[in-house]
Order: sequence, then structure tokens, then C-alpha cells
Amino acid sequence: MTVPQTTRTRGQEGARALAAELSKLVSLPATWLTLGGTLVVNLILAIAFTIAGLRGSTGTGSAPDIGLASIGYAQAGFVVLGVLAACSEYTGGQIRTTLTAMPRRALQFTAKHVALAIVVLPAAAITAASGVVLAAGVLGDAAAPVTSGRVAGALSGVTAYLALTTLISAAVGALARQTLAAVVVLLGYLFIAGPLLRDHVSAAKYLPDSAGVAMWFPPAGDAGAVTPVRGALLLMAWTAALMAVVVLGYRRWDM
Amino acid sequence: MITIDNLVKRRGSAKILSGVSFRARPGRVTGLLGPNGAGKSSTLRILLGLDRATSGTALIGSVPFVKLRDPLATVGAMLDGSGAHRARTGRAHLRWVARSAGLPRARVDEVLEIVGLTNAASKRVGGYSLGMGRRLGLATALLGDPEILVLDEPVNGLDPDGIRWIRTLLRERAASGRTVLLSSHLMGELAATVDDVVVVNEGKVVADGTLDEVTGPYGTLEDAFFALTTGGAP
Repeated sequence: MTVPQTTRTRGQEGARALAAELSKLVSLPATWLTLGGTLVVNLILAIAFTIAGLRGSTGTGSAPDIGLASIGYAQAGFVVLGVLAACSEYTGGQIRTTLTAMPRRALQFTAKHVALAIVVLPAAAITAASGVVLAAGVLGDAAAPVTSGRVAGALSGVTAYLALTTLISAAVGALARQTLAAVVVLLGYLFIAGPLLRDHVSAAKYLPDSAGVAMWFPPAGDAGAVTPVRGALLLMAWTAALMAVVVLGYRRWDM
Repeated sequence: MITIDNLVKRRGSAKILSGVSFRARPGRVTGLLGPNGAGKSSTLRILLGLDRATSGTALIGSVPFVKLRDPLATVGAMLDGSGAHRARTGRAHLRWVARSAGLPRARVDEVLEIVGLTNAASKRVGGYSLGMGRRLGLATALLGDPEILVLDEPVNGLDPDGIRWIRTLLRERAASGRTVLLSSHLMGELAATVDDVVVVNEGKVVADGTLDEVTGPYGTLEDAFFALTTGGAP
């Protein structure tokens, strides 16, 4: 037997839980299929938006404006990834293996979300950059000029938005414990309820989707608008609040 | 030592367990017997911290499972199914579990060898037979080389060879002073495996003792089981 007899500390327990959750995520084929599929779809949409941009009658926009227009749709892939990360636990009774290996549920739940953030941040950055690079390459000198600071700001805003949206989706997945239900609720909110509320209720600008969009497309010329930094803080607060609420239930449920 | 003390579990208006108490001792294989729906799985799930008891306690040594410092090296658990996602390979499943306890990768290959899954380790769990899934579940339970094994219906889905193999494995664990608690609704398979028997029916313990004590007047464990769970006389 090669089992070392050790008594572990709290920090060690957290590090091991994180290693286990990372191992789970990267060994799930659906993770790579979703991320790869999202990147491909995003590129196709970015091509479409770039061509539309070239033919636009109102003049050509900047590379980040055109190259990031597809993210509004591509975010659906990140929603699916977050939900899958949470709901795949309920396939084959895996949740019972998870909770007998890591019985302190709040710690395991946190480790799972941290692992997801670690996987998603680079993937989100690549997805965001792909559209902008493509738009810049195709548009060339036709693109409206833009400072590199504005490009970097928009890219980091999109990356953070996608990562936080993935975490929110994972928390909703953990709440619903059912992939389809969680995906329908989240996409229904992002693509139907969110835009409707935004048009009719002024306070809707503080909701997660609008606050998130403000992180990279700050509405121009509106004094009451949410700034990118405020948007980021708002979305972080929404994510933390939702995770806290879900973990309260997650600690008590019968699995 | 596993100590179950007066467990009560209600779900809605249904009473799943109404005061279950028993012990599983080191050096012995304890069989939790009962028909489907008797409360065997609920008892084991509460013991493993998966379900919450309405009242009562279930202790591993002197602490509840969720307070164990090193759960995987203390208790090996196998519940229904393989406990693994169908899209992962058997080896990938064991690897993440091993990581949660800081166990070396070599240990994954060791348990694959013990349960006879080495050749299927690179196959997805979705392609496993019922018996292979049980073997993977057992490999997971054995990862931390624990003092205690808690197995829900371990012989379900195993062929006669597999049943013989698991019987030998569990007897060896008990012989080396470890604790084995298993549940089953299959009497014949169990009689040759267990030292102690706890019979549950409708959420209550109806008999508790050594195999001989419980079988006693009925002749066979199977006769005892039916007499105790259907209210028949010896």
C-alpha cells in the first residue's frame, strides 16, 4: 500500500479540494466541447458582424466594438458550461462520491467555483480576443481608430463578465440540479426577461446582465449610466450573493 | 466502530426511519438486511452525511462523518450505481477522488488492479456493465485504504465470480481488524459473508445479533428474514 498516513490541515484540505475539482472539470469532455464550440460560434458570428460593419451605412465602427458584438450571443456557451459544471454532479450518482470524499460542503462548493473560474478566465479571454483580432484583421484601416487602452479595457471587461456569468450559471445549476431547467431559466433571463426589463424599468440597469454589459459597452452620454468599474462591482456582488444563498441550501439538502 | 443511535428520518409526512439503533464492530462484517424500502439506504446515507436525520446520531468512532479530518482514509463508501459520471474514464474518475485526499496516482493503479478493472480503466464509465460499475465503486471505496467500509448492496449486479471475489475481499478486511458494514436484500449471498446481522423492516430494527443468534430458531438466514419482515412465527 502506498497510502501515506497524514493528518491534514484546513489549508491543505482546501488545496486538495481545488485540485480535485480542477481534475473533474478538465476530465469532463463536455467542458472542452462547450468551450471549443463557443469559440467557433463566436468566430462565425464575429465574421458576420465584421462583414455587416464593412457594409454599414453609418460608417465603420472600431475593432473592439465590432469584434465584441458577438459576445452577447456567445455568452450562452459560458452559461451552458457553468450549468454543466454544477449539474454533471448529478449524473451517475457522482454527487455522493463528491460529498463522501469532501464532506464539508461549503468548502467543496467554493473549491468547485474557484476551479471553474481558473478554467474559464483564460477561455473567456481567448474567446473575447478572437473576435477583436478577427475584426481588426479584416477591417484594417477601415476600422474607426481606437486607443490600445480602450481595447484592453473592453477585453478585460468582457473576460470578467463571461467568467462571472459562468459562476452565476454554476450556482443556478447547483440550485436547480437539472441541466435543462437551469439553462432555460438563465437563457430566458439573458435573452428575453433581461432586455425587456432594461427597456421598461430604469432600475434594471443594476441587474446582473445590464451591469455586466456596462463593463465593456459603457452607454455613452448618459449621466446616470453604470460605469464599467461600478458594473464590475455590481456583477461581483450579484455573483457572491447568489453563491452565498445557494450554499445555504446546498449545505442542508439530502443528496 | 460505527454507532447508530435512535435515527429518525421523516420526509414530508412519510416516516422513513423510526428509531434505528445498532453497532458495527471492528474485525467483523455487519450485514444490514431488509426488503427494498426498509430504510437500509437511508441509514447508510445519514451515516455518510449525505442525508440529514430528523433526530438521532450516527457516529464513526466518536464523531459524525462530516467532522472526519480525513474522510477517504477513514471510511470507504459505495452507494448505488458507480458513483461516477458516464463521460469520464474509470481512471479519470479515480484520479479526481484521489486528488481530494492527496493520494498519489500510483494508488489509482493499485485499486484498479485490486478490483480487476485495469484493462477497462481507459474506457468511459458509460460503457461499463453493471458489475464493472460496482467494481469501480468499490475501487473508489478502497482508494484511501480505510479502516471502515460502508457498502450499499455491494453484490447487486455482480456475477457469481464477482460475488465470490467480493466475499473474500470483505472477509480479509474484517480478518485484519477492520470494520465492514454492508446492506443487502439478498439473503443467500449474505449468509456466507457476515458475522453480525441487523434486520430492518419499515424503518425499525426487528433483529440484531450474531448470524447464529438471528438465524437461531429459523434454520436459515433466509427463513429468519422472511419470518421477521413479514411477521411470521418461527
